[in-house]
Amino acid sequence: MADNAKQTSAADFTPIAGADRAKLDDEKIATPSLTFLQDSWRRLRKNKAAMIALIILIILFILAFGSGFFETHNPNATNPNLANLPPKIPGIDINGFNGTIEQSGSRINAYAQANAGNHFYILGTDYLGRDLFSRILYGTRISLEIALIASFFDLAFGVVYGITSGWIGGRVDTLMQRIIEIMLSIPNLVVMVLLILVLKPGMTAIILSIAITSWINMARLVRAQTLELKNQEFVLAARTLGESSWKIAFKHLLPNLSSVIIINLMFTIPTAIFFEAFLSYIGIGISAPQASLGTLINDGQKNFQFLPYQMWYPAIVLSVLMIAFNILGDGLRDALDPKSRE
Amino acid sequence: MAKYLGKRIFYIILTLFIVSTITFFLMKLMPGTPLTNQAKLTPTQIHQIYKQYGLDKPVWQQYLVYLGGIIHGNFGTSFQFSNQPVSYLITSRLGPSLIIGGQGMVLGVLAGLIVGAVGAIRANTWVDTSATIISILFISIPSFVLAVLLQYYLGLKLRLFPIADWGGFMYTVLPTLALAASPLAETARFMRTEMVDVLSSDYIELAKAKGLNKVGIIYHHALRNSLIPVVTIIGPLAVNIMTGSMVVENIFSIPGIGEQFVKSILTNDYPTIMGLTIVYSAMLCVVLLITDIVYGLIDPRIRINK
Amino acid sequence: MKINSLAKLGGVALVTGLILAGCGSKSSQSKKQEISWMTPSPIATMDTSKMTDLYSAQVANGTNEGLLRIAKDNKVNPGVAKSYSVSKDGLTWTFNLRHSKWSNGDPVTAKDFVFSWQRTVNPKTASQYAYIFANVKNADKISSGKMAVSKLGVKAEGNYKFVVSLSKPQSYFKYMVTQPEFFPQNPKTVAKYGSSFATNATKNSYNGPFILKGWNGTNDTWTLTKNKNYWDAKSVKVKDVKFQAVKTPSTALNSYNSGKLDFTTLSGTLAANNKKNKDYTVYPQASTSYMEFNTKKIPALRNTNIRKAMALAIDKKQMVNKVMQGGDITPKGFVPADMAKRSGKDFANEAYVKAGTDYNLKEAKALFAKGMKQVGKKSLSLTLLGADDDDTKRATEFVQSQLTKLPGLKVTNQNIPFKSKLTRAQNQQFDLVLSAWIADYPDPSNFLDLMTSDNPQNDGKWSNKQYDALMKKSETTDANNESARWSDMVQAEKLLMNQQGLVPLYQQGQAALIKPSVKGVQPFPTSPQYDWAKAYVK
Repeated sequence: MADNAKQTSAADFTPIAGADRAKLDDEKIATPSLTFLQDSWRRLRKNKAAMIALIILIILFILAFGSGFFETHNPNATNPNLANLPPKIPGIDINGFNGTIEQSGSRINAYAQANAGNHFYILGTDYLGRDLFSRILYGTRISLEIALIASFFDLAFGVVYGITSGWIGGRVDTLMQRIIEIMLSIPNLVVMVLLILVLKPGMTAIILSIAITSWINMARLVRAQTLELKNQEFVLAARTLGESSWKIAFKHLLPNLSSVIIINLMFTIPTAIFFEAFLSYIGIGISAPQASLGTLINDGQKNFQFLPYQMWYPAIVLSVLMIAFNILGDGLRDALDPKSRE
Repeated sequence: MAKYLGKRIFYIILTLFIVSTITFFLMKLMPGTPLTNQAKLTPTQIHQIYKQYGLDKPVWQQYLVYLGGIIHGNFGTSFQFSNQPVSYLITSRLGPSLIIGGQGMVLGVLAGLIVGAVGAIRANTWVDTSATIISILFISIPSFVLAVLLQYYLGLKLRLFPIADWGGFMYTVLPTLALAASPLAETARFMRTEMVDVLSSDYIELAKAKGLNKVGIIYHHALRNSLIPVVTIIGPLAVNIMTGSMVVENIFSIPGIGEQFVKSILTNDYPTIMGLTIVYSAMLCVVLLITDIVYGLIDPRIRINK
Repeated sequence: MKINSLAKLGGVALVTGLILAGCGSKSSQSKKQEISWMTPSPIATMDTSKMTDLYSAQVANGTNEGLLRIAKDNKVNPGVAKSYSVSKDGLTWTFNLRHSKWSNGDPVTAKDFVFSWQRTVNPKTASQYAYIFANVKNADKISSGKMAVSKLGVKAEGNYKFVVSLSKPQSYFKYMVTQPEFFPQNPKTVAKYGSSFATNATKNSYNGPFILKGWNGTNDTWTLTKNKNYWDAKSVKVKDVKFQAVKTPSTALNSYNSGKLDFTTLSGTLAANNKKNKDYTVYPQASTSYMEFNTKKIPALRNTNIRKAMALAIDKKQMVNKVMQGGDITPKGFVPADMAKRSGKDFANEAYVKAGTDYNLKEAKALFAKGMKQVGKKSLSLTLLGADDDDTKRATEFVQSQLTKLPGLKVTNQNIPFKSKLTRAQNQQFDLVLSAWIADYPDPSNFLDLMTSDNPQNDGKWSNKQYDALMKKSETTDANNESARWSDMVQAEKLLMNQQGLVPLYQQGQAALIKPSVKGVQPFPTSPQYDWAKAYVK
């Protein structure tokens, strides 16, 4: 077939002119180069539900931690003469927001009955006449503080435990795993209750007992991930370059563990909020006049038959918080999972 | 198998030993005595009361006596109920808790499996979305709120079920529903993830390629294989049920151990708190053991007798 | 003298039910002699030597009977004793017993009383209420182990005459013998069951209007069934009083509204919202809630002006009407109103000191400033201790918010389980504490004794020599002189209020719902609160 081949000459190979060269794009990387986090963020942004959850959480955080700004009243100022008033927003005349409430079968204007004058409370007042709206903001803050601090300790301890166990391996790992196995078969809530009783009920006791009893999950996940990473090439490379073992663990492993940690954190925080609410219910939560979402819901549920708003509003805030954390957690899991890269 | 069981039982005993030790010393750190009226008692009487509860001995001796007692199923005498052995207090109240706990677990897991499976089969449709919403909603409502709502609307307004109390199946319905919410939600989420994974796996693709009908594929392959990992979350779910029962038993006035636990906390009934803690741990250990064995039996990839 | 541990203990109660009553509403099937009664707490024990709580005592008052039986308007009715007489010096009480039977068929004799009283006082029994026998001759020495039990000042003359010797006269002794601690016990039953005596319904014998059934020792439901062996069985109309211990107040109300309960107690908002309900009723209690100052630990609280200022800063009227909202009323003093009367005059009115229970923030601020100057302090930071039931929590929050209106005073709350609170209060581990006291017998001394310097239950250790002298006089020189004794106590109460040894916050009243068809339940302002012996359903 050689004789059929067309003879080629140098003239056939004219270099592409500058203008044409620019048009050529086979050499170019089509998608912009993204770091891992940028990529995750891009994928997270595509997840509508997760973004809504994130926005809701940001709003709730701003409202809660800037509660001083948004509070319409001092959350701890009592005014028993204006106790148990239903929500009232001036100008809105819908049952539930016009200051009337069902009592023995008929609707009465609770504000007129209490001679409240020009006072109004957009979410009503509690049994001591404290503004429920301000208390919910304040309570959300306390709940979030408890959850965040507890999760931080739980994270710090769980991560260190997990890395240590997975990184050192061998006997230490076996022993540490046995300890975890034993801890797993202790109902953490019961231990939490005992700890709070010993430490005397209060914020510190609650934070400590939540942290002490809930790090196990984190430790297990981190350990599993560490074991996986341990044998990968970049670790081997660092090792051959003579980096110290601990430096590798914290400098190279930790960033690679970040997605596991972030995802787990998204589920730890709502669990902590929930535990706090549970502790309030059994009577060993935050002590008055401090409030948390848990104590507010607990106070509200006692009078649910007559003053349903006292339970509904804090319960809705708690549920929204929980839902948002859960959806965001799900979204982050998908976004941070390298397998789901398109 | 025998070797594995032996090992597991050894760990259970070790765990219970550690739990009893921790609770014993925590209780010793706490203020409070069986005395209601310390100020009005003579030293002789105080001594006598301490002696009755074995509190007159040094702490290490009390500890040994306590451990010895546990081996014989003796958890001491309740502070709250005079002369009532804690072991009797627990056994006489265990039944209702096991019934509503068991029912809640079974209902929650079954319903969760269905919701999760349906969500996975119809992945990314409105069915899936509503299944997800249901499960997230159920995770997000505290059990005491749910219990109050159930009691008020189903019990008082619609008069479908008794409001509170104990005495027959109808009485267990509302507490069971309240308890089932959390396992339902957790199982549904877990099941959906597992099943989506399974449905996109090679062997399902193969089965599809072979032209098996959809129902057959789902029933014979997908469902079974997604079910196996669900067994692993039974343990954590059991913990949820225990937590929930303390609240639910209170609200529905069920004479169970969850209600007793809360009551014991509020009355400083330390012997009962200790006894219940050990019983809770023992129950959890047994649940974990059973789930591990079941897991080994149904999952061909795991051989526990190795 | 029961500390009002559980009175209206909203948060900590229990429930139970009609076993197999079926579901749905079971409204009173016409004239079935059966009452469903809600109680907040289960029975702790039926051993009358070991009882420490109000709710067990209530049940015991239904199933057993002492020498006399408490009746309405501070009267006593004959019980096992047909009649009694008191010697001139007030030291010897002789009771003539009727021929009556235990539920197991044994006769109730004077020996059963001797047995029971000796058993309670015996230090080996470790009764926590043995001190209530303090006035019976030699009781103190016996309970501290210094004397043989047989030396107790009680004796059976034959089977049906029971003689008590007191160490000092006690005009209200007739009320004391109506209390469960003074009930007889069947020696055979006690011997038969040993340490498990009275730990469930069957391990006991009863001599009262009812027999206890269905109590297994730990459950939340039990029934008082008419006792056919009771001497006055013909006047007991109701067949069964079914008890349910209900833990959650809103659950109890829901159960009542669904027709499963014929009676339920209420407090707080639940009470406020039921005030227009035709079933709503309030049972006044001889019980005062008050705040104590720890004068031993906090020197500033020894200053009368500071104590007065703190008392004046608390608006008791607002507290009762807007915060507690149940059946509570504003206090007249430490001794509750309508409890003790003499020739038609109420003790609380006679001893009323306006300043002691008044509210005047302006004056409070002035007094506080004055007091702080006297003790040389600029600010004071105190912890307010209280139990953790719903009512007490609300009270603590309110009191805290009121006290912080005094410039320079900072108050933080601490709510802990009732028993821990009690222990801490009795060991002076507090700054301010909320306490409550319910009378066992309608005599002012029941309250006033609490504040004498040497009383172990004077938690705050407030001490006043004149007060001690007055109380001593009422017990000794004036013990047999009704009017002198009365005026001693009136003066003592006035002194206590003028010195503000404590701050009375409110007098408790039990708000409740009771079905109109249930008649004849006799309420008492003192323990045991209710008697069902004459109850019936119409």
